[in-house]
Amino acid sequence: MSLNNILTNWSRYRKGAEEGGFHEYEHQWGMVVDLNKCIGCNACSVACYAENNLPVVGEKRCGKNQAMNWLRIERYWDEPDLEPYNATPSANIDAWIEGNPPAKKTELKPSMPSSYLPGLLEEGGQNFEQRVGFGGTKSEFQDFGASFLPMMCQQCHAATCEPVCPVAATYHTPDGLNAQVYNRCIGSRYCSNNCPYRLRYFNFWSYYEDAWPEPLHMQLNPDLSVRDKGVMEKCTFCIQRIRVAKDKAKMEDRKVIDGEFSTACVQTCPTGALVFGDMQNPDSQVSKLWSYHQVERGKTKQSKQNKELRGYRVLEGLNTDPSVLYLERVREV
Amino acid sequence: MSHGYLFLSGPVGSSGAVVPHHRSSRYFLMALAALVLGFFLAMSSAWADDGAGVPNAVPPKGEHEGKNVEQPIEFPHNIHVDVNKINCMYCHTYARRSKVAGIPPTSKCMGCHLVIATDKPRIKKLTEYWEKKEPPRWKKVHDVPDFVHFTHEKHLKRFVFDNEGMSVDRVSEVCAFCHGEVKKMTVAHKVKPLNMGFCARCHEANKGPFDCWKCHK
Repeated sequence: MSLNNILTNWSRYRKGAEEGGFHEYEHQWGMVVDLNKCIGCNACSVACYAENNLPVVGEKRCGKNQAMNWLRIERYWDEPDLEPYNATPSANIDAWIEGNPPAKKTELKPSMPSSYLPGLLEEGGQNFEQRVGFGGTKSEFQDFGASFLPMMCQQCHAATCEPVCPVAATYHTPDGLNAQVYNRCIGSRYCSNNCPYRLRYFNFWSYYEDAWPEPLHMQLNPDLSVRDKGVMEKCTFCIQRIRVAKDKAKMEDRKVIDGEFSTACVQTCPTGALVFGDMQNPDSQVSKLWSYHQVERGKTKQSKQNKELRGYRVLEGLNTDPSVLYLERVREV
Repeated sequence: MSHGYLFLSGPVGSSGAVVPHHRSSRYFLMALAALVLGFFLAMSSAWADDGAGVPNAVPPKGEHEGKNVEQPIEFPHNIHVDVNKINCMYCHTYARRSKVAGIPPTSKCMGCHLVIATDKPRIKKLTEYWEKKEPPRWKKVHDVPDFVHFTHEKHLKRFVFDNEGMSVDRVSEVCAFCHGEVKKMTVAHKVKPLNMGFCARCHEANKGPFDCWKCHK
């Protein structure tokens, strides 16, 4: 399929479903992320590192945007002046109970003295509080009002990364996923340039010696390769798990059952904020959520009957047709 | 020897299991059994072992001159398979249910060789290993790179178990697709390239999956 398919059916990939950009899928793996349930604990990201042989690149390279976090938790902050997050509830608890939080921003004190964290003090006078802003007044971030958004490859059905690859190393699989073939990739990085979500990660270095010194290399997952430098990589929806489940189903002459397997992030999420499944199966939890929230594939704008439904897709106006549905966070204001 | 093999192995002459796939009628062949059998005898070894007799299958093409791998014991595949007619999957049991075909444990060897051919030098060597409670360190001959996902079970399902007209007794012909005529060898010797072109040509001819992510990981 792959290259031949891309060359003969190139135009189909550039169209939405309503314009005849239909592709006969075996499966359509999709995901739902409930932001109401997400507590920003990063467990999904850690699970992804463990499952997919992702290197920990270190602080310096991280600062240069060379981190390899296939799944990252994005933080968004409420505006500082926004009520009621501009005050410490503990200091004004009575007012909070009565329902009138103070409008004026109170001066915040460090919640933990720096002497508690001797190991984290950095040389050269700059201490941990100043660097990280741990509850102090010099904080780079606010104490309240963080929202989290787990961001993994959206597995777009009209993916912007696919047509720009000069060697067809990224293509659309019959499972409705954006595949990345590491052996074929020449590292032009056009795909990452073209991804509106910035979810493709480039190996600027060979990380395997730094990231898994012996005996840590024993923890590497043998079901997928360790990528070397010069290769683009990204979330695969845990293709190695999909492959095992499909192989097993085929050996038993049946279809893949919903919930039979899930990706590493979904398996790890402590609050069940992530749901994974086959959207071609109308009985799967994922398809039920999509239809409940009245979000449809192949559209650049959803026409919802009920405006209170929380489902949305990130940047769907760009006609990327992503496979990940986000359920908006609802907060009391 | 090969003539004798063809007469002895039941399915070849009697059940019509070797119908070439372009001939759909089994009965037609039954009627012509004598003629066909004569043809087999004439072609004998070349015919029976290059996999051309497997129905609904186009054997992959490709040759390779692999190095001789020195094994701890020069295991004679030919005596086990060609002379004694032991099925490949008797020892390589995992082939039908997992990714790897598996090397049998020494206990499986000793199951027979506690009593059979105990005076032969190779068996004496094996018995030494057994008494030391140490497995012979067999070396891998057929290896694919780490970025390749290959499963034996699905290939056996396609070419043997789900293949109409194919009997499990003749599984060695399917094994020979990728491993060559191991039953004529002592220790296994790589005679097929096992590279991407070799796989892809076979997948194309036999309508296998053609998605990169099916094999590349």
